Amino acid sequence: MLWFRAEEWAARADQLKADGWRAIDLCGVDRLGVADAGERFEVVVQLLHMGRKERACVHVAATGDPPTVPSTAKVWPAVNFMEREAYDLVGIHFDGHPNLSRILMPDAWEGHPLRKDYGVGKVPVEFVPQPFLQIDAPGQAATSEGAGRNVDRLGQPVAGEDAVSRPDGSMSPSGAIVPNGDES
Amino acid sequence: MSVDADRIVSGFESGGHGAFVESYDEGERMVINMGPVHPATHGVLRLKLELEGETVVRCEPIIGYLHTGMEKECEDQNWRGAVTIVTRMDYLAPFFNEHVYSLGVEELLGLEVPERGRYIRMLMAELNRLSSHLVWFGTQGLDMGAMSAVFYGFREREILLDFFEMVTGLRMNHGYIIPGGVWEDLPDEWEDAVERILDVIPGRLDEYEELLSLNPVFLERTRGVGVIERNEVVALGATGPIARASGVDWDMRRDAPYERYADLEFDVPVEDAGDVYARYLVRMAEMKQSVRLVRQITERMPKGEFKNLDPKVTPPDRSELGRSMEAVIHHFKLVTQGYAVPPGEAYAAVESPRGELGCYVVSNGGTSPYRVHMRDPSFVNLQSLPVMVEDGMIADLIASIASIDPVLGGVDR
Repeated sequence: MLWFRAEEWAARADQLKADGWRAIDLCGVDRLGVADAGERFEVVVQLLHMGRKERACVHVAATGDPPTVPSTAKVWPAVNFMEREAYDLVGIHFDGHPNLSRILMPDAWEGHPLRKDYGVGKVPVEFVPQPFLQIDAPGQAATSEGAGRNVDRLGQPVAGEDAVSRPDGSMSPSGAIVPNGDES
Repeated sequence: MSVDADRIVSGFESGGHGAFVESYDEGERMVINMGPVHPATHGVLRLKLELEGETVVRCEPIIGYLHTGMEKECEDQNWRGAVTIVTRMDYLAPFFNEHVYSLGVEELLGLEVPERGRYIRMLMAELNRLSSHLVWFGTQGLDMGAMSAVFYGFREREILLDFFEMVTGLRMNHGYIIPGGVWEDLPDEWEDAVERILDVIPGRLDEYEELLSLNPVFLERTRGVGVIERNEVVALGATGPIARASGVDWDMRRDAPYERYADLEFDVPVEDAGDVYARYLVRMAEMKQSVRLVRQITERMPKGEFKNLDPKVTPPDRSELGRSMEAVIHHFKLVTQGYAVPPGEAYAAVESPRGELGCYVVSNGGTSPYRVHMRDPSFVNLQSLPVMVEDGMIADLIASIASIDPVLGGVDR
């Protein structure tokens, strides 16, 4: 495994190419929150030497804001799409890439989904707090915010922090709001 | 614009395709979109074409219409659960996705797979290669006007999917190969089922060859069409049948053997022409080699465990759950939480029907993958499409797309 700084990567890539290595894979990695990480972003390139039947893995630390590494699309045309993918999903810029544009996400997309601070479900979904909880089936737990904490099944505030009371005064067993009353 | 009859005739005589091109003037260039919804683009592939009459001057693949963020979803699963995500990427070759991901995780865990598990994996992989190539055969034939090919291809594929269903319970997206082995042992009657497949498929493959290999229309449409040279293939990173049809003698099963491929005998078909027909020949020969491999695997299938029984990764057997409270807790912990994988990174690669399928996994020591990156061969192979089709006819473009055999689920992930 080889580690390169961004500024030496272009020269090293030429050298590796001259030695007969071909780039087989390239991806961006976000190491936010990993203890021993130096730079937050890095580009991981998998190399293959078909003559020697060997593989090598190269890490290139991306520096700056936005994180940038030199593009190797002119050295290995194969990485053209892969660099675009790393730019699109992780937000790493490749200096000198012939067409650095989004490849998988829509052109107008904001943000880079494979970054660690772009969590699954962190895109705000517009839920409007409902005054009345809508419960359809018996046993179905209400899911909207505030449910199960300080309102009863009609959305009325109840005394006590975590108590969920039924209209008849009994506690629902699971803490979830269970419809009852009418049929009982 | 008037049509000059002489030019049409001379076009035929000069041995071209006989097509008439109105004008070569700059102003006559036309940019059109082929796809994303088009019967010949094999999924939601969109091609931005610059045409001069019927000649493709420039071709730019535009992808992403099927992007669902599967690599991100994997980070939200535990290590075992991510198998069910990766299997959905290249949906014609699901076993390969599971396989390569499992190989990566096993490398991080240092987990050994028992012999039987390895042979079951190879068996499923080779049958999957057959079923995937059969879809390619059908669609390649269909795009070349051989309508019956698609019926035959899908008919035989059904036999294989039935076998997959018998073993895994599902026709596609199996989630069968897991880190440490395979999820379940083969059912008792598996040998008879494989035997039935091997009775049928080789004869049918010969029939296909009779149908297309020397068919004059097919030859006319594929020979010398979509040519890509050896150095271009290497530069553009294309792997698999495309590379082997251009004279790159490289097959991961032979040159970087994984599982027990080193113990098996098979040939790697290589052609030099680099055209659509060469890719056709390579895939047809590969199917025969897969049949040969399945035969050997069936004969050598060892007895014993099919998955690693290390309690760190394998939940206790169902029969124990009724008797032991500890087993229930153990089971519950593994199902809800999963197992932790030591920090590190691994790159594993297998020879999928479309080329080198790689998986780069990173762990930060937690119970879910920190990063899963799939190097999907369709994604990379698609880069060689412009080289194949530029300065060719639109009709030849169709032949080239079919010969790349892209699966857009894998391209877009």
